[in-house]
Amino acid sequence: MVNVDIQNLFVVQGKEKALEKIVVLGIESTSHTFGVGIAAIIDGEPKILVNEYSKYVPEKGGIHPREASQHHMVKAPMVLRNALDKSGIKLKNIDAVAVALGPGLGPCLRVGASIARFISSYYGKPLVPVNHAVAHIEIGKLVNKLSDPLVVYVSGGNTLVSIQRRRRYRVLGETLDMPLGNLLDTFAREIGLAPPYVVGGKHQVDICAEWGKEFIDLPYTVKGNDLSFSGLLTAALKKARQARNKVELGNVCLSFRETAFNMVVEVAERGLALTRKKEVLLTGGVAANEYLNSKLDKMAGLHNARFYTVPHGYAGDNGAMIAWTGLLLYVHGVTIDPLKAFVRQRWRLDEVDLPWIPEN
Amino acid sequence: MDPGELEFITQGAEAQLYMTIFLGFKSIVKYRVPKPYRHPDFDKLFRYRRTLIEARIMSHLKILGLNVPAIYFADPDHGLIIMEYIDGHRLSDCLSELSRDDIIRYALSLGRQTSIMHKNTIYHGDLTIANTIIANDKLYIIDFGLAGYSRDLEEYAIDIHLLSRSIEALYPELHDLFMEYFWKGYMEIAGKEFTAKLKDKVRDIRLRGRYVEERLRRKISRERYM
Repeated sequence: MVNVDIQNLFVVQGKEKALEKIVVLGIESTSHTFGVGIAAIIDGEPKILVNEYSKYVPEKGGIHPREASQHHMVKAPMVLRNALDKSGIKLKNIDAVAVALGPGLGPCLRVGASIARFISSYYGKPLVPVNHAVAHIEIGKLVNKLSDPLVVYVSGGNTLVSIQRRRRYRVLGETLDMPLGNLLDTFAREIGLAPPYVVGGKHQVDICAEWGKEFIDLPYTVKGNDLSFSGLLTAALKKARQARNKVELGNVCLSFRETAFNMVVEVAERGLALTRKKEVLLTGGVAANEYLNSKLDKMAGLHNARFYTVPHGYAGDNGAMIAWTGLLLYVHGVTIDPLKAFVRQRWRLDEVDLPWIPEN
Repeated sequence: MDPGELEFITQGAEAQLYMTIFLGFKSIVKYRVPKPYRHPDFDKLFRYRRTLIEARIMSHLKILGLNVPAIYFADPDHGLIIMEYIDGHRLSDCLSELSRDDIIRYALSLGRQTSIMHKNTIYHGDLTIANTIIANDKLYIIDFGLAGYSRDLEEYAIDIHLLSRSIEALYPELHDLFMEYFWKGYMEIAGKEFTAKLKDKVRDIRLRGRYVEERLRRKISRERYM
């Protein structure tokens, strides 16, 4: 359970009284995870009451959008039921329902959106549109009690460095082709290690890297604050196919991971040197990676910044982050007519105006 | 300051900067520090390459007459460069304090200098307003650690994309004004045709960013014609 004091987020004129108790249900279904979370403010204290989810795990290959959406349809009632039972909250008692309308896979997004629109119209609750990327950042800020961090957001769908400025999260640098999570998964799959992509909390690439001893030179592509992984992937796969034994394959994995992570850390370091922030927040699915955590931690230390990450349940996609961000938006009066709540597969982080981010 | 004495100035993303007197000149020592988060082999190769290319390109640009610090000494094996000291302010720190006329003047100057650089097949690789210094009423370009030689239009377009993004991130309200005059200055040297081609490429790169709605729309309208 999260319990922090961040009153400054809720400075809304004429709304102070209503802040005694607000409960918002959040639905996440942008990609492989269908999640339902409930966030609340009780006596001015923000709380995550419940965070339930079901993850689609492909038997072979990567995420198939149609199959993932079918998984969501089958699991949705159960996940929703569990969330309500565990928290003891009834749908008629919530103040609003929030849903991640994008960015993500269309078929998956539509499952969450349909359920949210239904709850909104049937129970007469306001519907709150949430950007998935904003939610990843806001949950990280909540659990770590941060107000103005440099954000490193790495997942299967995003790799970017961002800061808050002028009402929005502004993107300082991002991937020009594929995201980091996608890169790691594709590599592991192509060399025959995955699926499953994660075993015992460790990614296949991390396991394979432990077999290696030597570093091999691989393409490193940082263009200003942006990065590009596709050349690295091609070269690493080529090297991996030439590997004759476990140690040689391990060398490729080690070098591949080293190069990819160093690129992300360099972009983050550039952002930090540019903005001189005092906090670095790692969020998104790949935030669960311990090796990346340790690299960023060391980097932040060099610039007298503190490093923060998100705990496992909040690192990957989850409903709690949607509920919490939905609550923030609801308190500031952001809602949408269910008839107009279309999904947006491409909805950039830096397109969303956020009332709680200062004007300067 | 005594000759050989080092005065710490700042810690950048990849290097430490010191001030010193070198052969009687007020100089900057740029030292690429080994990073504890990198594999030692990676670190060595990385610092060597970055240092070498930076020194090589800055010397080339100085000869072409651009406002860049002069290189006095370089030692790639130790990640060390000693160069001219430019006494001024980064544009990223002072853009909003400048008058409209000054902004236009510096934008034009940056456009012209970038254009000369590109004409000589050099790209900067990290052309942001944090890497420009205003000194003696002139605009200097610094930090060529990511620079390189290329005839690929893409690299030139990325320079401009990065510049535009860095202004958008720090001074969104001044972005349009600055870029308008940047392009004006660029066109003076590069000519209308090349500039138009480059502008298209810059747009392409922006649309390549993740989840850009315009890209989706364009794709759909293209499919409609087929």
